[in-house]
Amino acid sequence: MADVDIDGLRRQWVGKVFQEIDLVVDQDRMLEWAVACGETDPRFVDPAHPDFQASTAFPTHINAARMLPDDFTDIGSGRGIDGGKSIEWHRPMRAGDRLHATVEIGDIYAKTGRSGTMVFIVNRMTFFDAEQQPVATVDWRMIRQDV
Amino acid sequence: MILDLHTHSVMSDDGRAKVENYCQWIKRKELPLDGIVLTEHRQFDATSDYRALEDQYGLLILRASEVETDYGHCLVFGVNDDLLHAFDFGRIDNPLATVIEAANRCGAFAAPCHPGRKNVGLFSHYEEKGPVEGVEVVEVYNGGSIPGEDERSVQEAAKYGYRGIGGSDSHIVSRIGSCATEFADPIRSMDDLVTALRAGRCEARTWRT
Repeated sequence: MADVDIDGLRRQWVGKVFQEIDLVVDQDRMLEWAVACGETDPRFVDPAHPDFQASTAFPTHINAARMLPDDFTDIGSGRGIDGGKSIEWHRPMRAGDRLHATVEIGDIYAKTGRSGTMVFIVNRMTFFDAEQQPVATVDWRMIRQDV
Repeated sequence: MILDLHTHSVMSDDGRAKVENYCQWIKRKELPLDGIVLTEHRQFDATSDYRALEDQYGLLILRASEVETDYGHCLVFGVNDDLLHAFDFGRIDNPLATVIEAANRCGAFAAPCHPGRKNVGLFSHYEEKGPVEGVEVVEVYNGGSIPGEDERSVQEAAKYGYRGIGGSDSHIVSRIGSCATEFADPIRSMDDLVTALRAGRCEARTWRT
């Protein structure tokens, strides 16, 4: 096992916001995404529905320009692989919502498996509404092999 | 009494099964399990209360942990506050000797899992570093093993005189109960389980084909 200093990386990077973006939630994009995901619930696919809102996985398709801080520590080889995304909803996202999103390193941790030690870097994007209240949090795990 | 001693719920970062879904699956498929032990990766869930599920489904649901060591992964049964302070469950390089010693000192029990597996199995480290003192029990049947791994586990466990247990290592509902452990005595609590493991009054079982 190579020696990646996970504790040091955590102290250096976790909680550090390295990007912020503003966006307006577009009704057509919401609908397009819901249909593409196979949603049938009218709350997600019928704009005339009184509770029309972004479908469950909608925030995962919104990506900031950078996955990691420009000066992030070099870990392992290559760009790694996608470790999946998870979403925590705080309130529904509606068409026309003006949102502000922050991107930070949410966590860094390691685990071991058949192929050796893997380092997980969690890219956390949090969406806030105009009142600065959280709307949704997306954790995107990137995996680097510690070689 | 048969318990699946190695399972992961959504509390593990790679777990995709809710505990209730495991219970539903066990009953729907009429699996011969009397209970499960949740062994979340690198952590111990001290707060979840599964008593309502136990009553609803007639299953015993216990909580343990799967920690990572310099000799591969290791199940720890009977986790308590003392043990949580004895070493860092979140690390991937805990010395196995420390984990075993701390478990024994704190009234818990440690058993390396999938020992026949490359990198994260006890016996692959034995090749380079030699055996670790204090190991008594290893998981000889693991539901996530690829061909050859469990065979190696059984063979090497016999060589070193270790007793065997079984667990599915399930991360999704359909894998639950593929391997398990049969106990000679009733198990009603984690204390009962630790006592039975120490006494060796159990036997590894597998239903994998």
